[in-house]
Amino acid sequence: MIKKGIGMACMFYPNGSTGKANPAGVFIKMNHDGTAVVNVGATDIGQGSNTCMAQIAAQEMGLKLSQVRVVTGDTEVTPYDAGTGACRVTYIAGNAVQKTAGRVKEQLLNAAARKMGVIHSGQLVIEDGEIFLRYWPAKRMTIAEAATYSERVLGRPIIAVDSYSPATMPLDEEDGQGMPFEVSIYATQIAEVEVDTDTGEVKVTKLVAVHDCGNMINPMLVEGQIEGGVATGIGYGLYEQIMEDPVKGGILNPSLATYQIPTSLDMPGELITDCIEIPEEKGPFGAKGVSEPTCNPTAPAIINAIYNATGVRIRDLPATREKVLFGLRELERKEEG
Amino acid sequence: MSQRVAVSFKINGKEVTLLALPEQSLLRLLRENGYVEVKCGCEEGDCGTCTVLLDGLSVKSCVTPACACEGHEVWTATGLSLQERIGQLLRNNFAKYGASQCGFCTPGMVVTGMNYLMNGGTADRHAIRAAISGNLCRCTGYQKIIDAIYYTAKELQEEAAG
Repeated sequence: MIKKGIGMACMFYPNGSTGKANPAGVFIKMNHDGTAVVNVGATDIGQGSNTCMAQIAAQEMGLKLSQVRVVTGDTEVTPYDAGTGACRVTYIAGNAVQKTAGRVKEQLLNAAARKMGVIHSGQLVIEDGEIFLRYWPAKRMTIAEAATYSERVLGRPIIAVDSYSPATMPLDEEDGQGMPFEVSIYATQIAEVEVDTDTGEVKVTKLVAVHDCGNMINPMLVEGQIEGGVATGIGYGLYEQIMEDPVKGGILNPSLATYQIPTSLDMPGELITDCIEIPEEKGPFGAKGVSEPTCNPTAPAIINAIYNATGVRIRDLPATREKVLFGLRELERKEEG
Repeated sequence: MSQRVAVSFKINGKEVTLLALPEQSLLRLLRENGYVEVKCGCEEGDCGTCTVLLDGLSVKSCVTPACACEGHEVWTATGLSLQERIGQLLRNNFAKYGASQCGFCTPGMVVTGMNYLMNGGTADRHAIRAAISGNLCRCTGYQKIIDAIYYTAKELQEEAAG
């Protein structure tokens, strides 16, 4: 018999741990053709952080996206970064990029002010590769001209270095109180499952994932992260388990044939993702991380849905067919008394 | 040491003769000769990133003996997405819909998607899900890959309908 159930899980997740130093380094070089090279320590492992970093840098410096080149993954030229993990890159490396780009912008505006004969660089606006007077937009110059002027006339090639690390605050050893991380990420996922009571098989038929990652820097990448995280969460909740040989030691399932990860057919037929954009004032352009939290609420939501469908409470992951069947038998035995 | 033997077959539309070891897989032979777009994943037929088209059907090249390809026709993701019109559409849609994250499964997904589209596959999400179920992806959750193939099929259908 097929039984249907719905389960929900809510979570919050730390972003930017403050227990110990957690830095990201960046340096930016402005070329006199108006392009910028942004050296970021954080490595893009496929989640698209290079695109995000370029977007943040371009927005802050007033350049077009095509005028920004991001260099990562080469430790000969990139500064130190604590690593691509958890969900720290957009928040921490993003903040570092924004800070550094801000310094470049300052230098560009100062050079432009000198060239244009403006007393305060605050009267200038920098946008889409151009610098112009706020109250007289016709008076303008390109960023390339400002960079060249700074380099060739003022004798100051435009270059900026900065870094970001959340304020460190170790927890109190006595009572464990303190501020363990700088900001929190929130999410809720709701899963609908079908449980086959003859075989114990669980199928996720529908899943809704709603996340708060502050302002989205790149909505398509956020969506991709959530969908990928849900897939990982389904594997964690239903299939994936490293089996060890209790006698001889060693791993019994060291291949993709025996260690099962979700295939396209294991994904819910309907997967709805959404984001609630609450700007995070400490994040770059109001953004927070999204990545790791995407796979955290999936397994709990599925486990709750299994409970809702059958009354079986799984307390150890993954919820394999054997465990679900065993749980069903237990319930039957209890009912029979 | 085993002796290398000459194997002649067509790859991406071009006749080639390559020297293969008798026990060598098609995957190893292709990678040795510069066709590195054919990725080496699990090398036991599970992950599907080494998928190529052999006489118009997708096969996992890691479990295909190189010598068995004598006289046959092989297409890789690069050949398909540069030289085949459907392949160009699919490649553009992979980019447009964000179907690639780390990119390691992508060459296999493109070939499997082409196998689906070239053999009369329609814009049917469930059929696409079934078609790519032999290719594993750890990053995307498959949704955007399915989107890319779905919208390519839709474009082709609309074209055929005029």
